[in-house]
Amino acid sequence: MIAFICILLTVLVYYLSKMLYKKVQRAFLSPLLVAPCILSLMLVGFHIDYSDYDSGGRWLSNLLQPAVVGFAIPLYKYHQVMKKYAKIIAISMTAGVTIALISSGIFSHVVHLENNYLLSLLPRSITTPIAMAVSVDIGGMPTMTAIFVIVTGISGLILGPMVIRYLHIKEKLARGLLLGMGAHGAGTSKALEFGSEEGAAASLAMVLAAIFTLIFAPILTPLILM
Amino acid sequence: MYLFALLGNELTKLLHLPISGSIVGLFLVLALLHLKILKLSYVELGASFLMSEMLLFFIPSAVAIIQYKDEILQHGSQFLIVILLSTITVMIVTGLVAQYSIRRLANKKGEIER
Repeated sequence: MIAFICILLTVLVYYLSKMLYKKVQRAFLSPLLVAPCILSLMLVGFHIDYSDYDSGGRWLSNLLQPAVVGFAIPLYKYHQVMKKYAKIIAISMTAGVTIALISSGIFSHVVHLENNYLLSLLPRSITTPIAMAVSVDIGGMPTMTAIFVIVTGISGLILGPMVIRYLHIKEKLARGLLLGMGAHGAGTSKALEFGSEEGAAASLAMVLAAIFTLIFAPILTPLILM
Repeated sequence: MYLFALLGNELTKLLHLPISGSIVGLFLVLALLHLKILKLSYVELGASFLMSEMLLFFIPSAVAIIQYKDEILQHGSQFLIVILLSTITVMIVTGLVAQYSIRRLANKKGEIER
């Protein structure tokens, strides 16, 4: 029963915060930021345990998987364009994934974070299920990683459009790649707001980032820890 | 879509693949579309709905943050600094590399045509 109520509540809060976002159009009022805040306050206010909440929340989280599968459609629609730019995409993604891992490591060192947090931060720029898998792989804490992934998503929603504006990134492909690479699914949903080609590029970037990170993370981790 | 994700999950378990089921499912759908076994119109509507409401599916994991109150209170600002700086670096590098290579490709093509 509580599971059902939690699903209903989450969906309701989500739609309300989405309506708010549409009205005011401010990146920091993204539903991804507002809805969890409201829900967390409600859980604390009504003394509901997270595990009880998650008995319902899990159903929604699980839908993330079919949503990722859904990105096959934009990829299919634009495969001609993708083939034409295969080399550019490969170069940009290799650069992106390497920088994502190394910069997470370096900045963690700079702010003196312990290694268990550092390892959980490394896979943060890819989609949740795979980020958690990588986290386990390299010895991080998967739940912490899931949270870092979300925070990355929110940061990307705000920072992505700023980067595009200030660096005058005009190519649709480049815009999509940086959003999908920098902020996984959240970035991809932002890219779809720019246009369907940006969305396709972003979904490709998201998928490739996940695969590349799966390969690069175990190789680069010992270097980053040095 | 849900079916394919499940199928992908089962496949990864079966084959002990080191990647997640949803990525396997994605490639499965992609392959079936290319082989014309699956029609685009069958899956397009469902998929675009799931993708446009994707933020909703992130929300329960974001609420998980309240489980880690102590860690967040202790290290929250450090986490935030790392994530913000790293995300912006990644986006700048990816965007500039992509933009630079696209323009270089365009220039090359222009020279050949001339």
